[in-house]
Amino acid sequence: MADAQQQDSAAAGTANAIEFPSLAWFERLAAMMNDNRARQEKLGYVDCVAGFSVTGTETLTVQVTFDEFEATDVRVTGETDSDRADFTLEAELETWQAMIESIRDGDGRPALDQTLNRLSHTGTPLRLAFDDPLRRDMYFRFNQSLQEFFNASASFETSFPAS
Amino acid sequence: MSKQANSPTDLKPLPAEHPVPEESLESYELAFGQQMNTWAEILEENHERLHAGRFSLHWMETDKANWGRRAKPSSRGMTYTDTNRVKGYGDMPEQATALNFAPRGAVRDPYVDRMPVISAYDVVDRNEVWAENVITLYEEAKARQWNATRDIPWDELEPLPEDLEKATCQLCTFLTEVEFVAGDFPAKWLHRIPQDFLEVKSFLSTQIMDEARHQEVFRKRAVAGGGLLHASPGFEWALKAIMESPSHTMGTFLLNLLGEGLVLSIFRSGEMIAKTHVDKEIFRRCLQDEARHVSYGVMELKNHLDNMPDRDAALEDMHRFADVGEMVILTAFTEAALVEPLAILLGGGIDRIEQGLEQAGGLWTNFIEEYLGRCQRAGFDRSERCGIPTQAPWLQ
Repeated sequence: MADAQQQDSAAAGTANAIEFPSLAWFERLAAMMNDNRARQEKLGYVDCVAGFSVTGTETLTVQVTFDEFEATDVRVTGETDSDRADFTLEAELETWQAMIESIRDGDGRPALDQTLNRLSHTGTPLRLAFDDPLRRDMYFRFNQSLQEFFNASASFETSFPAS
Repeated sequence: MSKQANSPTDLKPLPAEHPVPEESLESYELAFGQQMNTWAEILEENHERLHAGRFSLHWMETDKANWGRRAKPSSRGMTYTDTNRVKGYGDMPEQATALNFAPRGAVRDPYVDRMPVISAYDVVDRNEVWAENVITLYEEAKARQWNATRDIPWDELEPLPEDLEKATCQLCTFLTEVEFVAGDFPAKWLHRIPQDFLEVKSFLSTQIMDEARHQEVFRKRAVAGGGLLHASPGFEWALKAIMESPSHTMGTFLLNLLGEGLVLSIFRSGEMIAKTHVDKEIFRRCLQDEARHVSYGVMELKNHLDNMPDRDAALEDMHRFADVGEMVILTAFTEAALVEPLAILLGGGIDRIEQGLEQAGGLWTNFIEEYLGRCQRAGFDRSERCGIPTQAPWLQ
């Protein structure tokens, strides 16, 4: 009986899961950020356009516009408007998936080897793409806020494409 | 051996806690005595008016004031940008002539003759201090302050294996040693910058606060993990080169663009190799602050070069300075007390120090590329002249 309940619960959870990568997944993070203004006010302003690119057979790039304490715009972009972003974090799906699963397993805190800075510092597996070093430095200026933006993914279920 | 006191009459008085510097006091008396005509006249007038029961009310006259144009807050409150939009308040002179404390935008011209001159205010050229992003960075700095006592999860700190703990504590000792120069350097110049450049003074004040916090957090981390370890002569020479820079722009280049750029890389490496969530949090918080200082350094240099009447001469002066500065900074960043703990942390233990050193070599190359990119962004191409090798010395 208990097993059946657990299976039902798991099935329901999967049904409510938001697929990664998708616009909806990032929109959910943006909504969570905007609902938690008190935390954002504690962390301080975030003013940048950040690109998040999931590469592989089908590349998906989502740009999130951060303004003051909110994520004000979330959109899928193509190569033509890539320069709209101050910087873009690019990685294969496996890298993003491992990070998101680590955040989930850590209840909102990734393992030591799964933080944004840890993954991007040497340029691999997460690549920090930019045109302007001054705009690139915003990734560092707002790093804690960006980390917490992703950490919020622990509070909802994420599904990934079958490998 | 000194003679011990045998009775109360043998006791010598303790030195005064703050001995009065006689010479300084005398010169202070002399200076204000010589200038007495002006200030005593003001005092006399004030006495007469008050005794006569008269009111001046001249301060209510608005003919020469920027009165009545009210600043309106933007979405994030009342910023300097918002007040600077009001006519009369945002006009920053290319060269400051009001060498006193009178605020920019106040009625001050009628009083110039009777006002003292603050001789310390000698950095009067805007292109020695201004950066187009300085107001943004000031607002950002205020909004992103954090508290090294409360915002770090100190109670989660766990002891590491001895080699890793010592390496972490040595890295923290290095950072404690170097962090306060980034407070002392702006402090050294802050009191030389006139009030007309109030936005710059405000930003530099936040940098001083940031660096106080960095020094504090690394000191606390070291003492909580075992203790501070070794200071190093190589670090000290680099810090001296920054402190004794001949101009604000040159020192800001060496400190904010090169030095803090390198420390930013170390913070990012520190976050990357952190063995505890406590260390992760410390380095991540610090790297944000450091990146603001780097951004000011880039744009201050750009503004300086863009506005110098003879750009080529200004560039050559900067190159001469950087030729020396880079090599002295290199002295610090090749010290065993920095490179070795970093290599141990990167490798994961003292038995893997060689592998760690190899990884540190990769970070070195990344850093030099970032440094040259930032110089380029400022309009200062160091690619042909940079004295710091693009490859780590231990890999050459």
